[in-house]
Amino acid sequence: MRITMRNWVIGVAAPVLLLVAWWFLSADSTDPFFPPLQTILVRFQELWLFEHFQSDVLLSLGNLFLGFVIAAAAGIALGFITALVAPVRWMLDPLIHFLRGIPPVALVPIFISLIGFGTQMRVTSIALAALFPTMIATVDGIRSVSNDLLDVSRVYRLTRKERVLKVLLPAATPQIFSGLQVSLQVAFIVMIASEMLGSSQGIGAMTLLAQQSFMTADMWAGILLLGVIGFLVNILFSLLRRRVLSWYIGSRRLARAS
Amino acid sequence: MKASVRPYAFSIVGVAGALVIWQLLAEAKVAGTALPPATTVFATLATILGTGTFWSSLGATIGIALLALALSAVAGVAIGLLVGSFESVKYATLAVLEFLKPVPPIVILPLAVLVLGPTAEMSLLLVVFGCLLPIVMQTVDGVQGTDPVARDTARSYGMGEGEILARVVLPSAMPYIGTAMRVAAPAALVVTVVAGLLGGGPGLGQNIYQAQAAGDYAGLYGLVIVLGVLGLLFQGATRLAERRVLHWHESYREVEPR
Repeated sequence: MRITMRNWVIGVAAPVLLLVAWWFLSADSTDPFFPPLQTILVRFQELWLFEHFQSDVLLSLGNLFLGFVIAAAAGIALGFITALVAPVRWMLDPLIHFLRGIPPVALVPIFISLIGFGTQMRVTSIALAALFPTMIATVDGIRSVSNDLLDVSRVYRLTRKERVLKVLLPAATPQIFSGLQVSLQVAFIVMIASEMLGSSQGIGAMTLLAQQSFMTADMWAGILLLGVIGFLVNILFSLLRRRVLSWYIGSRRLARAS
Repeated sequence: MKASVRPYAFSIVGVAGALVIWQLLAEAKVAGTALPPATTVFATLATILGTGTFWSSLGATIGIALLALALSAVAGVAIGLLVGSFESVKYATLAVLEFLKPVPPIVILPLAVLVLGPTAEMSLLLVVFGCLLPIVMQTVDGVQGTDPVARDTARSYGMGEGEILARVVLPSAMPYIGTAMRVAAPAALVVTVVAGLLGGGPGLGQNIYQAQAAGDYAGLYGLVIVLGVLGLLFQGATRLAERRVLHWHESYREVEPR
């Protein structure tokens, strides 16, 4: 399917028109809830570029990154152990399913009561909540590796280490990445939630604080920043995925084309 | 026969082991009063289950989640059919949809609380914001995945555009919509809890916030356990409903064992 010139124009013009409409419709707004876009952007620049950049933006992003990396590493490792050692799987299965049923954000109050309000609590909350999607996807990925592949690796007398690293891991990577993507979203949500629940630092805390003190333009600036971060983080992850999984995406395309 | 009993035995050992470890850690006072013993939590939970406020909170949570889910389903499928049917509409909305897709509802929570206050409407708005887009996206995919031959056949039988939409396009998009609903249902519950916890909307989320703020740790753990069970029930119920509604589709048809 070729994207025609007309559709290109529509695709670019529509969001631009939307922003222009927002700009002009809100220009003389005296509604305390919906300040002019210009005011929001001015506050955006004043707040985030760069007065609170280091103290709040970098802090939030650092927590997000650290929590996500811990969750990813632990999730994949636990997923492998659970999938390959049957007794462990039988033991942990009901617990994991139960923990997965709990909304991740509901764990934040528990961590606050256990660890307090500091950075440590936030990273722990993010890591633990984001662990499960990756872990479950890893287990599913390994368990769906085709038996032919396992038989071949047995015929070639691969050692256990070779089988795990050279056969199971690559075969499960596409599913692991789907799990990682969900984990990343959970991590982002928990990052905001952990800041909104009684912390004074971070983008989420500043945004909620602005709302509670009726500094509407500041609140809008925070929402805008969080939206952009959510979008950019997702794009970065998609780029990473495309790089790591290029062999898989290519083989899928070939399979479809034939 | 013996082999099939073993997984269950291990599961029971796993759950019992986790409870014993919890009890021992709590009695050793590793986290002071913040980690109440399992026995205390379950006793508190029994008391909570006997109160009327708990059941009305539970009702509010389930009610908001289901109502918002229904609203999102109707609006999402309608928008999805519209966007999927017209190329120009698709390209006009592409940028906005792609930008909003990775933005979780918690980002606009401060705005929703500011405009609507800590009300059920606020929770409803957040849940719809969270569930609508995935349903729209999946419906669009479903519409575009319609077999062109089936479409042409319907046209040559003299069906009008409306009839084709209702009898060819919509049924073939149903599995996509079913997948979206299966993902959206647990998410609806999660967002309802988040709206209560962080925004003060009615329901179990609010109760959790109050328990944490009052230092009622046994109640906090009890409520989180309730949420875990509720989450599992939601997941199970949606899977069942999906099978029920889509039993006619090939990917859901069960092959009769011969």
